[in-house]
Amino acid sequence: MILDFERPIKELEDRILELQRLAGESEELQGEIANLQRALETARKRIYLNLTPYQRVQISRHPERPNFRTYVEALTEDFYELSGDRHYGEDVAVSGGFARLKEGGRRVVLVGNDKGRDVKSRVRTNFGMAHPEGYRKLRRLYALAARFGLPIVSLVDTPGAFAGRGAEERGQAWAISEDLLALARSPVPVVSVITGEGGSGGALAMCLADYLGILENSYLSVIAPESCASIIFRDPSRAEEAAEAMRITAEDLAEHGIVDEVIPEPLGGAHKDPAPVVEAVGGAIGRALERLEGTDPSALFEMRYRRYRAIGAPKSLEAGRNGHHTSRGRG
Amino acid sequence: MRHWLSKRREYSRSAPETESGLGQINGVFTKCRGCKKPVYEEDLKSRFNVCPNCDYHYPISAPERIKLLADPGSFTEMAREMRAENLLSFEGYEGQLEKAREKSGLGEAMVAGRATIGGNPVALAVMDFRFIGGSMGSVVGEKVALTMEAALEEDLPLIIVSSSGGARMQEGIYSLLQLAKTSVELVRYTRERKKPYVSVITDPTFGGVTASFATAADVILAEPGARVGFAGARVIEGATKERLPEGFQTAEFQREHGMVDRIVHRLELREDVRRLLELLA
Repeated sequence: MILDFERPIKELEDRILELQRLAGESEELQGEIANLQRALETARKRIYLNLTPYQRVQISRHPERPNFRTYVEALTEDFYELSGDRHYGEDVAVSGGFARLKEGGRRVVLVGNDKGRDVKSRVRTNFGMAHPEGYRKLRRLYALAARFGLPIVSLVDTPGAFAGRGAEERGQAWAISEDLLALARSPVPVVSVITGEGGSGGALAMCLADYLGILENSYLSVIAPESCASIIFRDPSRAEEAAEAMRITAEDLAEHGIVDEVIPEPLGGAHKDPAPVVEAVGGAIGRALERLEGTDPSALFEMRYRRYRAIGAPKSLEAGRNGHHTSRGRG
Repeated sequence: MRHWLSKRREYSRSAPETESGLGQINGVFTKCRGCKKPVYEEDLKSRFNVCPNCDYHYPISAPERIKLLADPGSFTEMAREMRAENLLSFEGYEGQLEKAREKSGLGEAMVAGRATIGGNPVALAVMDFRFIGGSMGSVVGEKVALTMEAALEEDLPLIIVSSSGGARMQEGIYSLLQLAKTSVELVRYTRERKKPYVSVITDPTFGGVTASFATAADVILAEPGARVGFAGARVIEGATKERLPEGFQTAEFQREHGMVDRIVHRLELREDVRRLLELLA
């Protein structure tokens, strides 16, 4: 699949291929091909080194981007998947179970969004948008992690929690807030990487974490850029601007101290050369687990508390806090 | 098509433009949205914006809500001067803040402090929908956290009254992270204290607020007819083309689905909360 902004690259590639078919021994055409190849290299750099936030969003949604299954295959020796929320149903937009990582042989509870690769599987997994059942399954998995003292590892790739009649009838918001609290009080380390999309509260219910990594072209946003454009600019076609304005890219998040690490991708995105990216994610998870291993629950909570209590609080809030210890007169 | 549009309108009551939250007012009386009968402004005001004929609950401001809920003169505000900043230099945000401050007379979409209810001391935070749709940015999140902190430090019950369209887009990632901030603060409070956290949900409460502190309470109360949910009806209709049932996402619907504990008439709220406090605190 070719993204809109990649067209110039694609056109050059096609022309080179065509000339190569025609060229044979022709010196002249060989020269032409060499010129085009230089132009292609320039175009690649020009486009891929200057990606706009919205172009990165498009890359994060690319169907060939390494997905949950790719990571499971590459990073685990064994993944023992569990199903169901024990209330209502099984939601395949979220997967999870017990896993043994290849790196260090660590045992963890692994969760993630399995979006699938083609239209059929993407429809089946609802494009990684979970219903309350998905969030309640996560809740179960978080509880199992606590019970067995296994760290939680999550790979986030969701446009957000699903908005639909059934989801509302079964308490979507309630299911998400429970997950947020469960992660906040988790007695075991929580290690997350945003590997694809990080859409709103539905993503946060998987990555309120002690370590948060993010792939270079992934994003974390309060709302989809398209929806923000519709609401704020009253024009969905201004998604480009919305993506820019909301500071949703990996680079922005690192700059604002919201993520711990940005994991680089090859030129043009992880799907161009998945293996090293998948390995880098495995390495980042391994290092985080090693660092957090054996931290006792109350120390973990203190750390997590400090991290999120301070984050997203502009310095100016300090000024307003002077009113915090007001004398308690009988007004 | 027209029929469908008019059906949709009942899901999209516009934000209140006047103190009473009524749309068109000729100064003396207006047609009630609930029963369509004429209602006198004065009568509405004296009943905290509840229709005297049909008990339709119109929105009320945070200061009015505090007057309704707290013992007279018992409320002391904290963090009153806290102001939002345009952290991300979001286009038009300063102007919106300015307008919201002017319209509401408040510094932000939440008023937080301490009060007594029937003589019981509480930490109390109340949202105001007139202020950018009650959206939660850094200041709202911070005020929620400070209210929880006060409840923790002084061993008080915690009461939060919500009305919000959700997270405030203009503060981007900072708004989203308020969900995390309020969650860690709430966990600290519930770990260390045995006092109740009561969430009072009023019309409308959606998005990031419902997906965090508003539904994470020991007891959830809701006002009659209040719409509460994750995604708004318009978003759902736009995305899924599903036909939504009559009364979708109202407090009554949510109680039927096991999501809220009690539906409490506004004029009975203080007494209802007092009973709960005396049973638990």
